Amino acid sequence: MIGYAAGRSPLHRAHPYTPLAAASAVLLLAFAVSTPGAVGVVVLAAVALALLGDATGAIVRPMLVLVLPTWALLLVLHGILGGDPHLVLGPVTLSEPGVRRALVLGGRVTAIVIAFLTALATVSPPRLVEAMTARGVPFGRIFLLVSSLTLVPRMRARAVQILDAQQSRGLRIGGSAAARVRALVPLVLPLVLGALAEVEEQVLALDARGAASGARRTALDPPRDTLGERLVRMALIMAVLMAYAAKFMGRGA
Amino acid sequence: MKPIVRLVDAAFAYPACEAPALADLSLDVRRGEVTAVTGPVGAGASTLLLVAAGFAPRLTGGTLTGTREILAARPGIVFATPWTQLTGLSRTVADEVAFGPASHGRPPAAVRAAARRAMDQLGVAHLAARDPATLSGGELQSVVVASALALEPDLLVLDDPAAELDPAGADALYALLGALAVTGVAVLVATQDLERAARIAQRAILLEAGRVVADGPAAATLTGTDAALIARAAGCPAPLPLDVDALVERLAR
Repeated sequence: MIGYAAGRSPLHRAHPYTPLAAASAVLLLAFAVSTPGAVGVVVLAAVALALLGDATGAIVRPMLVLVLPTWALLLVLHGILGGDPHLVLGPVTLSEPGVRRALVLGGRVTAIVIAFLTALATVSPPRLVEAMTARGVPFGRIFLLVSSLTLVPRMRARAVQILDAQQSRGLRIGGSAAARVRALVPLVLPLVLGALAEVEEQVLALDARGAASGARRTALDPPRDTLGERLVRMALIMAVLMAYAAKFMGRGA
Repeated sequence: MKPIVRLVDAAFAYPACEAPALADLSLDVRRGEVTAVTGPVGAGASTLLLVAAGFAPRLTGGTLTGTREILAARPGIVFATPWTQLTGLSRTVADEVAFGPASHGRPPAAVRAAARRAMDQLGVAHLAARDPATLSGGELQSVVVASALALEPDLLVLDDPAAELDPAGADALYALLGALAVTGVAVLVATQDLERAARIAQRAILLEAGRVVADGPAAATLTGTDAALIARAAGCPAPLPLDVDALVERLAR
């Protein structure tokens, strides 16, 4: 499931900026390194983050759906169609630089997906709103970010409702691939049109409640931000800066 | 006393619609009064609320002609679909109700007090700790009205506010609207619940095809509206009878 999953892990209890900073650091570090071994270390860091956030259950399925096809595509493109020299592994001949390239790219995608699925699973959107409000972030930016974070669960919930309604009116969703594609039309059309209508009404409702008043919003229950967490975030920033400094000085891993 | 909303020869058309949704519209909304707006589906009551509260054409687009004066400092509006009026950013009902005053940057204690008062008025204080996404339709509608009241509006505009409520809840809501008007709030409510509206409204406006066909004291006009609706259902041509005697006479022909 993509989206917030309530829990009591250290990442759930942390200030919302901390898991987001960790996920962002994984993303930036994944692009700062360029060897399979170094990318592997970043993947391990992402896995450690998922374990710390007790998020493995929430991210396994979307991981398989998103990452496995990417690995398959990368290995075919780079491993089989790549240049010399080639490695012979039984009946399969693979390009050595191609495999290295596939490992680096696949590792980056894996690390980034794990890290951001973990952040999505552990950062409560309302707590993030309070944290950003307390920092004086304009409401428009907060709404844009949090709406994006909650888009997938909201659309999925709406899709389930529409699918139930359409099935109760005789829509059949099984059968051949062509039948499944045909069944998408009565799902997608109301999903998109309904979302657009809902957005318009929500804009009116938010405006009616002063969202565009221009005043600095009051944070009623901002999450606690400890010195330890601020130091962790600072360390993450330093790690990223050092990785890029090493990369641009030609001593990257 | 100067009206809080004044429309003179106003007309409004939605974007890409040739026919105006409202035309030849002149009316006043006054402080301390409940004004009920009714008419057949599509008559323009919801659009009238949007125009009177200043949302149309500012947020809806379209064209408004004629004169409109809005003197309300704190308009509150409740739309017909409560599920689209949740912010989606709140953990609890208390946070949801507090959203409006918090958006205006009021101090935390004042925000909490306004939210608590509004929840008490609507009888939803027992839901304060609930996740808004888990509420029933009726609970949600009460919470949405409480969210508007938390703004302490001087103009309260409501579109079919009791549609999701049980009879006791609807009675309580209409009684509250009447009590708010006594405190000086201008209440403009679009409704098909003529019986309850007649109990509290001082004035009533009957719309048909975007035009005012009756505007007068609620007791007379809404009783007449019943007569008009019955006559329309019976296939009587315009002009429709506006009181029971005229209806009986018309049906006897």
